[in-house]
Amino acid sequence: MNELYRAIQESKDLRDKIKVIGIGAGNSPFEVDFFQKNYEVPFPLFSDQDLSIHKVIGEVRTPYFFGVKINDDGSNEVFYSKLGGFKDANEFLKLMVKLSGI
Amino acid sequence: MLRIKYVFVICVVGFLAAFVWLSTVHGRSAAYKDNIYPVGKLKPRDSVPKLKVGERAPEFTLAAMGGGEISLKQYRGKKNVVISFVPAAWTPVCSDQWPGYNIAKNYFDQNDAILLGITVDNIPTLYAWTNQMCMGGGTLWFPVLSDFYPHGAVADKYGVLRSDGVSERALFVIDKKGIIRYIDVHDINTRPRLEVLVGELEKLGK
Repeated sequence: MNELYRAIQESKDLRDKIKVIGIGAGNSPFEVDFFQKNYEVPFPLFSDQDLSIHKVIGEVRTPYFFGVKINDDGSNEVFYSKLGGFKDANEFLKLMVKLSGI
Repeated sequence: MLRIKYVFVICVVGFLAAFVWLSTVHGRSAAYKDNIYPVGKLKPRDSVPKLKVGERAPEFTLAAMGGGEISLKQYRGKKNVVISFVPAAWTPVCSDQWPGYNIAKNYFDQNDAILLGITVDNIPTLYAWTNQMCMGGGTLWFPVLSDFYPHGAVADKYGVLRSDGVSERALFVIDKKGIIRYIDVHDINTRPRLEVLVGELEKLGK
């Protein structure tokens, strides 16, 4: 994930268009903060201690990825929703760009 | 067609599942696939306390995964000891709790503490379970002990053996003199917060 974030930041075309966030399902703010420092995570991480977000998104197993388009009119659309990590950050980024049509 | 303003890539993770991405309360990591037995909601606590803070921790010697035996007394005068009883291998919550401690080693080191993980399972079961826990690579840094035979004897001594033969989800913090400084017999259905344990460890040095 750190590699993915860096690849986005290094791309002039993408850095203002793609944002990355992480959600710690069931984790307290302390645990999320510890995780962020321990793994030097450069993008924002959020605590979902009471699992309220986790419940809304369907109690998925982790890690789970969503790609969400935010349109100019404020509407949004999920274009990617999949369980499991990825091996190659650049390939994953290409897939995100392709599927989102950004 | 609407113009796209932004794209968000959202990664949902749980504290310390095997992918080294954060995990959670219900064996939520995909690393376990379908191997976590769904126990459902259990009675939060099903044992009668036998110990109190300030008392001497009962001695025990148990077989360790990886060979040999570990006794509580070997840490006397050397290390603070955290005992983490978890109900059983291949059950929810436990399958997230220990991976969490595994990446939080620094907090134990900083407070001169060792962690002993104990379940009522036998060694082969613990071996298979912890291997799956660490399938993202690496191993657990702390000893995992088997309280299998006589069944749950140590859990019983500590007052955390439930009526169905598994242990409570319980934490005991024992100082270098062998005195119990903190007890948390937790709701078996939920994972104790890391910060509470860290807070208790930090009190030991003061």
